[in-house]
Amino acid sequence: MRFAANIFLVVKKDLLLELRGKEALSIMIFLSLLLLVVFNLAVDINRDNVSELVSGILWVIFAFSGILGMGKTSLSERDDDAYLNVVFSSVSMESFFFAKVLSNLLFLMIMELFTIVFFVVLFDYERLFSALPGLSIPLLLGSFGFSVVGTLFSFLSTGSRFGEIILPLLFLPLVVPVLIGGVSSTDIILNGSAGDTPGKWLKILLVFDMLYLSISLILFRYLVEE
Amino acid sequence: MRYRKIIKALSLLLFFLFPVNFYLIFQVAPTERIMGDVQRIFYLHLSLAISAYIGFGVLFVASILFLIKKNILYDVLASSAGEVGLIFSTLVLITGSFWARPVWNVWWTWDPRLVTVLILWFIYLGYFLLRKSLPERMKKARYSAIVGILGFLDVPVVRLATKWWRSIHPRLSKEGGGLDPLMVKVLLFSLFTFVVFTIALIYFRFRVALVEERITSILNRMEES
Amino acid sequence: MIRLIDINKTYSLRPVLKDINLDLGVGEIFVLFGHNGAGKTTLLKIVSGIMSPTRGRVEGLEKEPICNRIFYLGHNNGLYSELTVLENVRFFQRLFSGGNGDNTIIKKNLSEFGLWQRRNDRVRSLSQGMKRRLALMKTLICDSGFIVLDEPFTGLDLRWKDTIVEKILSLRQRGTTVLITTHLVEEGLRLADRVGFLEEGKLTLIRKRTEIDELQIREMLKGEVCS
Repeated sequence: MRFAANIFLVVKKDLLLELRGKEALSIMIFLSLLLLVVFNLAVDINRDNVSELVSGILWVIFAFSGILGMGKTSLSERDDDAYLNVVFSSVSMESFFFAKVLSNLLFLMIMELFTIVFFVVLFDYERLFSALPGLSIPLLLGSFGFSVVGTLFSFLSTGSRFGEIILPLLFLPLVVPVLIGGVSSTDIILNGSAGDTPGKWLKILLVFDMLYLSISLILFRYLVEE
Repeated sequence: MRYRKIIKALSLLLFFLFPVNFYLIFQVAPTERIMGDVQRIFYLHLSLAISAYIGFGVLFVASILFLIKKNILYDVLASSAGEVGLIFSTLVLITGSFWARPVWNVWWTWDPRLVTVLILWFIYLGYFLLRKSLPERMKKARYSAIVGILGFLDVPVVRLATKWWRSIHPRLSKEGGGLDPLMVKVLLFSLFTFVVFTIALIYFRFRVALVEERITSILNRMEES
Repeated sequence: MIRLIDINKTYSLRPVLKDINLDLGVGEIFVLFGHNGAGKTTLLKIVSGIMSPTRGRVEGLEKEPICNRIFYLGHNNGLYSELTVLENVRFFQRLFSGGNGDNTIIKKNLSEFGLWQRRNDRVRSLSQGMKRRLALMKTLICDSGFIVLDEPFTGLDLRWKDTIVEKILSLRQRGTTVLITTHLVEEGLRLADRVGFLEEGKLTLIRKRTEIDELQIREMLKGEVCS
């Protein structure tokens, strides 16, 4: 499997970069913790309202921490035009992009796990742990959507002058469907409202993921080639 | 000059269309039973919404064409249409607010259609912020074309998501039921007026932007030599 | 053979390259001179396929994704600054040849480019010259049939300039075609089989190395700046 080997090569390099640079992931996790604290100071999360607030707070944190981290991982490719090497290798632009999406997905999932642990510890809400198997599906689908759009946009914004400010402004409106789908399905799984299944929300997440993955795979080439 | 004629024809057409349109809206269209005269803003509101979508649609198509042909004219067209779309969507949000206040007693309502326009508004604001932050001309065109394409494809997904999302929250029901046939006719005329208006605006803006483009390129050349 | 046919490039509305026609023979080293902003970098990017021409085409590059059919080194080095020298080399070796790099070959190459001592240092901590050497090593060691170099000597001191010139000359035996831009007349002429002069987007001169001397090139580079 040439394709799989190529993807593994790039993902492995990204993990190594993260291990050496310790930039993206640590910033993401730190910001998540900080946002949890800030949220608590702002809305006073307690036993009575925690189950109502949890899904919204988590997904807002995922989106914000996520986009910040993804901006960092793209920077290491853009800094010295290192991504250009791919053009002259046997690795296609499409598999390179897909590999970047997977590395970012991995970082996002790690950050989300940390955030969930922080949340349980800070707000004594163990329901999150017991629901984790069910939550893993919306988390995976939602993070994949974040990762596809985030990878493409962070690659794009690192080429501009004030990319770090532009990136969330481009990213957040576009992933509104992911946010709605993620929050709603998480809410249903945790609180189980009557007769409502997370099915249709997972479907929206899946549609978003597939639509944006296919379009981004096509468009990424135009981002690299002048 | 061919385009002079086009500009003249479009201006003349609009010169007649607009007074007629406003006459129809304010004099001919029947007053809505429950909402009263305020409802008349609906003819403008809906027309503006369609106009905004036309602007963003042209931006979408021009963006695709730019990526294929790499011809800067398509980028100029895309950004011109985007500007028109952004202005019209701003007006949609404002007129929506004017309408909501007396009818629903709120300035803003999280109606799926309104939310979709609002999200679009943010996306295209980002589109122009990105353009501003990219000094290199061809890069600006390429990158913003990508955002233009991704942004427009978001419309149906956002629409669907907000619609389902609304359904689990209390909903402001719209009063009134079906439209009076005369209302439909007035509405259609208003839509027609605004479609012509939008096309004219995009075309005018495109001509101006093209001149700007030429001037910049001449200035650059003068600076170099 | 690589053929550039009627290459035209327009940036927004400004023409940058005008009707470039050029044939590059197998194993030939072609050196392109020209003032800043004459379009050298643009031409190199088009030849290497990372930029599409407005009109015209490049022929002779195999279409199928054969390993390393072409390699381009631009102004930037294309290295991962947070990774060590060795990690960079290993990654690129796999990226370009698919297989695992032979350790003895990596050692030999790194030593030849004076980087073996620094193999475990991060690229970030290297000097400009070292980074450039690493980038050149990455470019020259892969079995590419066509190498495009944009100002390869930037940041290199005299000793290394000589070494790199030797390295590039030795590519000839491998049958690698090389296209180079440089503003260093001496090094350029040592390398060149043929010389070209790019002026405001036009190839105004193509000569065999034997038909032109250093003085002429210097004159051309000096003069006509304000034309």
